[in-house]
Amino acid sequence: MQCDWLHSGPQLWLRCVHRQVRLRTGKQEEHRGWLLTVDPVSHSVVLLSFREDGASVRVVMGHAVKHVEVLQEPDQDMAERLRSFFHPPTTVSLDP
Amino acid sequence: SIPTSAAAQSDPEQLQEEQHARSVLRERFLRCLLAMTNKKVQFHMHEKVNVEATFGASDIDVLNFQVSDLHTPIGVQKEALIRCQDVISFTFDV
Repeated sequence: MQCDWLHSGPQLWLRCVHRQVRLRTGKQEEHRGWLLTVDPVSHSVVLLSFREDGASVRVVMGHAVKHVEVLQEPDQDMAERLRSFFHPPTTVSLDP
Repeated sequence: SIPTSAAAQSDPEQLQEEQHARSVLRERFLRCLLAMTNKKVQFHMHEKVNVEATFGASDIDVLNFQVSDLHTPIGVQKEALIRCQDVISFTFDV
């Protein structure tokens, strides 16, 4: 979908956040995961993938990213999970 | 400094939207780095070199990572700086 990923800009990157993507590096490696963010400074791409026993985060450095393809939209549950992933709830429970 | 897109330079509304997108993306990235502090991280580098280290910090331009207990093929380096240019990707468990 996005061939010129690097130059597509922050607005398009933001639209792709929470979608499942397939990323190719210059070394012809492929990585699949849910897009958490793209650092606008270094263009590094943060992917999250779930396993049975947890989850792992892969950060691909901006200089190594060659191609990013959007695979699918998240369903509502997944979108919520991704939204709160590195965002701990700010309200503190005051219950004893 | 980061150059804005050509469209944003001429349109203030577009500029504001672009800045907003940038700030949301950057905050998420910084939270990701924060979550990585003191975690074991596997770095995948050129020539299929894989090393493990405990992540400490990154500089703001993401040019270097400060790590501890870097496991290299020739031994463990207590403290080290990794040049981001040498890294293709890195992973950690959450």
